[in-house]
Amino acid sequence: MGTVGGRMGEWFRRLIGRPGTVDLGPYRRLLGQVGDREPTVRELPDEELTASVTELRADESVAGADRFPTDKLVEFSALAREAARRALDERPFDVQLLGMMAMLSGNVIEMATGEGKTLVGALTSAGYAIRGRRVHIASVNDYLARRDAEWMRPVYDLLGVSVGWIGQDSTADERRAAYACDVCYGAVSELGFDVLRDRLAYEESELVVPEPDVLIVDEADSVLVDEARVPLVLAGAIEQSAADPALAELVKGLGRGVHYEIEEDARAAHLTNAGIDRVEAALGGIDLYGVEHMATLTAVNLALYAHALVERDVDYIVRDGRIQLIDDNRGRVATLQRWPDGLHAAVEAKEGLVTSESGEVLDTTTIQALVRRYPTVCGMTGTAVAVAEQLREFYELEVAVVPPNVPCIRKDEPDRLYVTRDDKEDALVAHISSVHGEGRPILIGTLDVAESERLARRLRRAGLECSVLNAKNDAEEAAIIAEAGREGAITVSTQMAGRGTDIRLGGRDAQDHDRVAEIGGLYVIGTGRYSSSRLDDQLRGRAGRQGDPGGSVFFTSFEDDVIVRHASDTAVPSADPKTGRIEDAGGKWSMNHAQRVAEGELLELHRNTWRYNKLVEVQRSTVLEYRNKVLHSDLADKELAERCSERHAELLGEVGAEVLAAAARQIVLYHLDQRWSEHFALLTELREGIHLRALGRRNPLDEFNRDAVPPFLNLLAEVREQAAETFRSVTITPEGVDLAASGLKRPTATWTYLVRDDQFDEGERFMSTMKRAMRRPK
Amino acid sequence: MLTAFVRAFRTPDLRNKLLFTLFILVIFRLGSAVPLPGIDSAEIRQCMENATASGGGVYQLVNLFSGGSLLQLAIFALGIMPYITASIILNLLTVVIPRLETLRKEGQSGQARITQYTRYLTIGLAVLQSTTILAMAQSGQMFQNFCSPSLFMPNQDILTLITMVFTLVGGTAVIMWFGELITDRGIGNGMSLLIFTQIVAVFPSEMIRIWQEQDRWVFAVIVAAGIVMVAAVVFVEQAQRRIPVQYAKRMVGRRMFGGTSTYIPLKVNQAGVIPVIFASSLLYLPTLAVGLLGEDSTNPVVRFLMTYFDPTQIHPVYMATYFVLIVGFAFFYVAITFNPADVADNMKKYGGFIPGIRPGRPTAEYLDFVLSRITTAGALYLGVIALLPMVALGTAGASANFPFGGTSILIMVGVGLDMVKRIESQLQQRNYEGFLR
Repeated sequence: MGTVGGRMGEWFRRLIGRPGTVDLGPYRRLLGQVGDREPTVRELPDEELTASVTELRADESVAGADRFPTDKLVEFSALAREAARRALDERPFDVQLLGMMAMLSGNVIEMATGEGKTLVGALTSAGYAIRGRRVHIASVNDYLARRDAEWMRPVYDLLGVSVGWIGQDSTADERRAAYACDVCYGAVSELGFDVLRDRLAYEESELVVPEPDVLIVDEADSVLVDEARVPLVLAGAIEQSAADPALAELVKGLGRGVHYEIEEDARAAHLTNAGIDRVEAALGGIDLYGVEHMATLTAVNLALYAHALVERDVDYIVRDGRIQLIDDNRGRVATLQRWPDGLHAAVEAKEGLVTSESGEVLDTTTIQALVRRYPTVCGMTGTAVAVAEQLREFYELEVAVVPPNVPCIRKDEPDRLYVTRDDKEDALVAHISSVHGEGRPILIGTLDVAESERLARRLRRAGLECSVLNAKNDAEEAAIIAEAGREGAITVSTQMAGRGTDIRLGGRDAQDHDRVAEIGGLYVIGTGRYSSSRLDDQLRGRAGRQGDPGGSVFFTSFEDDVIVRHASDTAVPSADPKTGRIEDAGGKWSMNHAQRVAEGELLELHRNTWRYNKLVEVQRSTVLEYRNKVLHSDLADKELAERCSERHAELLGEVGAEVLAAAARQIVLYHLDQRWSEHFALLTELREGIHLRALGRRNPLDEFNRDAVPPFLNLLAEVREQAAETFRSVTITPEGVDLAASGLKRPTATWTYLVRDDQFDEGERFMSTMKRAMRRPK
Repeated sequence: MLTAFVRAFRTPDLRNKLLFTLFILVIFRLGSAVPLPGIDSAEIRQCMENATASGGGVYQLVNLFSGGSLLQLAIFALGIMPYITASIILNLLTVVIPRLETLRKEGQSGQARITQYTRYLTIGLAVLQSTTILAMAQSGQMFQNFCSPSLFMPNQDILTLITMVFTLVGGTAVIMWFGELITDRGIGNGMSLLIFTQIVAVFPSEMIRIWQEQDRWVFAVIVAAGIVMVAAVVFVEQAQRRIPVQYAKRMVGRRMFGGTSTYIPLKVNQAGVIPVIFASSLLYLPTLAVGLLGEDSTNPVVRFLMTYFDPTQIHPVYMATYFVLIVGFAFFYVAITFNPADVADNMKKYGGFIPGIRPGRPTAEYLDFVLSRITTAGALYLGVIALLPMVALGTAGASANFPFGGTSILIMVGVGLDMVKRIESQLQQRNYEGFLR
């Protein structure tokens, strides 16, 4: 934006309210003053630095204020910069302070990779904390949450701000301690699941999450857009329901194309007529589609899905005799996640493993609902402008672009496009070998675990030693990343290295930095386009940090998933017959088009999750309002006393008021949770088939909203009724109520579900295929 | 329906949406009454009365959609027709031009581009249509030579005409904007609501005309018949056959639901109002032909057309043709919009099936079986609704664009029902206070 024309353009875009154009001018003007304060602050001993911050914190004009008063903001910026310099030996650049100020005003900032977003996030959270706010920093995953918290701890210490972090293995007490800190780091899913788990608490003392206040979202586009498509589902264990291994065997004997077919988009598989005949015969000649065989048919379908569409080492790995899911977006193992609705058991049967417990959905939430709990939200990422409109639509957030400290000099080469996957891989290996010959470190981003391993094997056969980073060896992540910038290093990775990782040139301690920079810096190779150009850009962003040299290129082919799934009808343009390389501009257009289609579909998914959740959210908040009242007061006791006064009086004499109130609370909460879980299952079922209404010219969303209301109307009344019934019959001793003895078993373990996108969007996909025919010429 | 509106008015943001919608509609109606620069409004009103009193013209249907503003040459004379035509054309082009098809697949951003093209095309069509209308007005054709153009267009120099074209095109752009504003910030589909307004707008004047020209009891019968018809249309429009569908791909723990919420609703009148519009447009062709050939009664073709297809006379042949066309179009429309094989195929893909019936061909056959029967009833219903007013009231001397005409009622009821549903849906997302206690 150096030129006058560029500035005019930016000014005009801001004038017409284009996203991504928050004006940083006012903050830029403060930077001079911050610089003036620097020499004074530098003289302060550590204790006095901390004391100055504490003083600022006690100041009435700062604590509890909506905004920082300008002079205090300058003072804080100077102190924060000095604290970072002392603690990390990194003096924050002007642009970093600029980003911090923009975030303190509640914006999402876009900062290039390697510009020190983590530090900006830490300084921002300290800024909120000294204003008396409680800050949660949502990271993409546990590894980053923990790394950032530990890395930034010295800075926080100097500023007198306490910091904690939570991970998926943290205990409830550890979580409570972490949340009690001024600043708490955690993966966004963990923050969400804690909220969900709190909704199951029977006593106030079981609660974990404090009142939400400020949320800082790291990798904002990934969390707020990509992850927001997948609802967070909390399930409770119920009795075993093993999938039939015989069915898994039967399905293994079916032939693709003969007995079953897979959709082009690889999201659904179904039996052909021949397949139905064969399965029916194998099951003793039943009519599979008869009403009475519904359960069998479901089991067959699940077995088929597990066999045909869930792939080992792509969707899951088997470790210690257990299925472990791989998170699509992050390329990591998600230990506490499972597939919903019997699919998990079906996959276990396929692998011949012991079936674990199955669960029932207790409640879900969405990232939107989670983020909207916080009165103040801000965020940071390397790619925000591309999703600025969505951030505005779904979260009412504005985007500010923070310029890089040193301009990026990375060379992004145009894609190399091939006809077949084999052509692509041949060229890929040849290219790696030639770049490796120059000694440049290479980072190769693959699309899944299986591909990363296949490629690593090929490279090793070609005599190129490489390290592999994927979900299977995530323990060595830090070590692998530290060495990835070493001269001559070849690192094959999945999406794991695509975000948040900082690859320094010259390996550990960057001792060879200058030499590696001289030969061209890190070279990033993508083995295929991701479903969104943002993910591509993130991968490229691993190279060229802080003005280092670097390069990037993507190798793509017409057999890549993105083309096959989203632009399958495109003709393959002419190619070099020997290498299979396509130079034709139309081919490149097709690739971009396929990616745009994928992006469009994902956006539609996101919007649908949001739309359909609106009403559910209203119902849920009604239930939660009642639940909180019961949890925090003796409402349950009063209500039951009113309904069954005799029994209540009798028990009051036997066990005393306190025990009785607790028992009443537990009874009501049990039934409330149970009824909500049932109601939610009903809503899910309704949602699943609602798209069919479009065939009758009805708007599915309106139909959903209408049909979802009647079953809800009596929910609370029924809960009270059931609670009263239990209250009359249950045994209450001075030790409390024994619900389990009355067959009312509270779910023991809880875990989280990874809901595959297609579980919910099939209806939408169905709609879009039907839409062309259904479009009315009115 | 009324309670829904009352409740909507009690919800602040819904009330704002409704008031906004109403506000836009009022401005829209005002613009439909403001004459073009260079038009003598008193004279043109006189001409129009002469013309309508002596029977319909080629532009009757179009005039209906413009709420009478077309023949008045108001600044909004073109109404929403150019926009509707443009969207139809672009929809058709999407099938023909692969580039548009690929755009559509790109989701929202692609759709935004297509909308932009639709807007450009609308302006183009508006230019074309406004010049045609002005040319017809200038030549006197518009009122079938019932009055001289120099009466209502005293100034016919080129500058005035250009001003008129500009005003008409500008008016169309504003209407288009209105429609989008309603869709975005108001309630309901802007375009449908604007059509609705225009149709309802002719109501009072038509009623007054009947009151003045007919017996009191004829008036009473017409009103009663109108109410009965509206009630009947509301009833049939809501009627549907529900074909249950089950999805067998998830184990939902202990509970099993009846699956009553998952069904394919097959509407009795699956085709909506479109067959009627197609049929009436087609039946204007003979009149148009007569206009082109001149009313030369010696020409056998003209004589034939004038005997059997004069819309003012309503010959039984005319009615029979109308009926057959409507029934035919209804079947045709259902056939192209609801392909049982496609539906069955899609259901199969996603694991859905009709209990007791195998997916694939058997399902398609079953759907086809039900659909063809239900469409028969629907098509006959459409024909009767469209024809009844003609038979019963044509003889009573009401003109073809009589307010209780089949087309108007079908559109009105359709848009009205849609509106109520949307309001209810919005209410349900907000009004939960009442449910808590």
